[in-house]
Amino acid sequence: MNLDWLDAFLISGLFSVVVIVGLGLLLHLQLGLTRIANFGVVGFFGIGMYSFGVLFTKVDWPFGDFWAFLISLAFGTFVAGLSGLLVGWLIADLDEDGVLVGTLGFATAVAILATTEDGLTGGARGLGGLRFPYDVGSVKADEFLWLIIVSIVVALILLYVWWVHRTPYGRLLIGIGGNEPLARSLGKPAFRAKLWLFAVGSAGMGLLGALFGVMERFLAPENLGIDVTLAAMVALVIGGTARAWGAVIGGFLVIGFFDIIVQSYLPFPREWYGQAIPNIKQIVFGAVLITVLLFRPLGILGDMRRDKLMRRVHGG
Amino acid sequence: MSETTGPRMLEASGLRSGYHGVTVLKDIDLDVGNEVFTVLGANGAGKTTLLATLARLVPLTSGSIVFRGDNVSAIPAFETAARGMGYVPQERGVFPELTVLENLNVGGMIGERSPEERMREVFDLFPDLEALQGQMAGTLSGGESRMVACGRALMQDPALLLLDEPTAGLSPLYVDMFFEKIQEIHQDKGVSIILAEQNATKALEVADRVMVLSLGESFAVKDAAELTTDQLKEGYRI
Repeated sequence: MNLDWLDAFLISGLFSVVVIVGLGLLLHLQLGLTRIANFGVVGFFGIGMYSFGVLFTKVDWPFGDFWAFLISLAFGTFVAGLSGLLVGWLIADLDEDGVLVGTLGFATAVAILATTEDGLTGGARGLGGLRFPYDVGSVKADEFLWLIIVSIVVALILLYVWWVHRTPYGRLLIGIGGNEPLARSLGKPAFRAKLWLFAVGSAGMGLLGALFGVMERFLAPENLGIDVTLAAMVALVIGGTARAWGAVIGGFLVIGFFDIIVQSYLPFPREWYGQAIPNIKQIVFGAVLITVLLFRPLGILGDMRRDKLMRRVHGG
Repeated sequence: MSETTGPRMLEASGLRSGYHGVTVLKDIDLDVGNEVFTVLGANGAGKTTLLATLARLVPLTSGSIVFRGDNVSAIPAFETAARGMGYVPQERGVFPELTVLENLNVGGMIGERSPEERMREVFDLFPDLEALQGQMAGTLSGGESRMVACGRALMQDPALLLLDEPTAGLSPLYVDMFFEKIQEIHQDKGVSIILAEQNATKALEVADRVMVLSLGESFAVKDAAELTTDQLKEGYRI
């Protein structure tokens, strides 16, 4: 496959966008519909990434790479879902502050474990040996194919989110987010619904973490920084927390701008890309977030329903 | 008014409950049959806590609740709803980000009869809701919100309806309409009702029996016709 026309930075930038869009979509179900402010996105992402990586690279598999890869991927997804179930069980009945601290604490614990468990994770030195489950001739072609595969996974997540919006389950999630005691009094198992949502969302985040690890081919604790959670959250808030497309629009606008346009197409001095640009990126994330929350609290897409409600409540 | 000695819909004994370690209800006994049972009391008497405790939204410190012959003291709120207990809270009784129709449909997710049939009955009872069905519940007036909350509870096909001050803060027109509807729900649909109210005059017109709550304790339980003004004043601590 001749991919000379394709810039390697573009593949990498698009891949970041697609992963953040996927995380933002899963976060949309938790934050946008059910009002669970999960600040531990990167924790579930990391659990999936490391569970997959450790199993895939450390086990002496008796069969070929492809099956070992699939089993490890399923394992990473399952462990992330299980950890979501556990964390969800712990935080489901807490208030907003408790949820924030609990999920943030979980993500911090995952990053610390990844750094300190040398024997299993490689610690600060990292864990190598990850590879694509195929070889199509060149690194660029392998990465391009992986970008397409992960894009399909994220498209399926979008389809799932879209489906949830149109089902009684989605109405239940909105109901729980709006008035949980009322939902319980109406015969809705709110705790169970939140637990299921958290488990499924975390499993999806873990799957994306594993897929991300494959693209990196090397797992390091640096991948588990709060910036992953922030990126997903900023994308979602800017796009619109209440709309399924919010994370997609926000992801392309925010992450796409930095990881593709700034990275590849703007003529900044080379030395800026080491520290200055990532730092500027964090500052801009914060500034944009504050601006959007001040002037467009429902995000760029807003929410037709909530917009109507807000207009009625606040006038205009 | 209907008979006062029907099958026991709900029996509660020695109910104690409250919030954050503060006991609000103190040893309440309750025996409700197929009737309109009204709970009267001044602000802070514990009416809302009593209904929320019966709906299993506030945990019991001690005592037991038997609903239609089953002990429901330890089961979660969503299970009492599935067993036929409908609850209409005083405030925040709708899902503001869902439309009226979606709010009603949330109630229709349990029960055996077809949701369409139940929806028709709700619209017959509250014709205004049919015209409002596409509107966001968060944009409704107080009276309209109460109708939605009540309609949604009826969508559950309840055997017992807990109504927490359904007319509080409403205009006189809505107050009259609501008390008419309460009678209609009980008499035409055979639903037992526990009604918490401050408006004693109106509530006594529709009640079969009445409990006067005073500072979390049951001051008196009587047939509505037997309650004297002096007893009421004493219960209200006037």
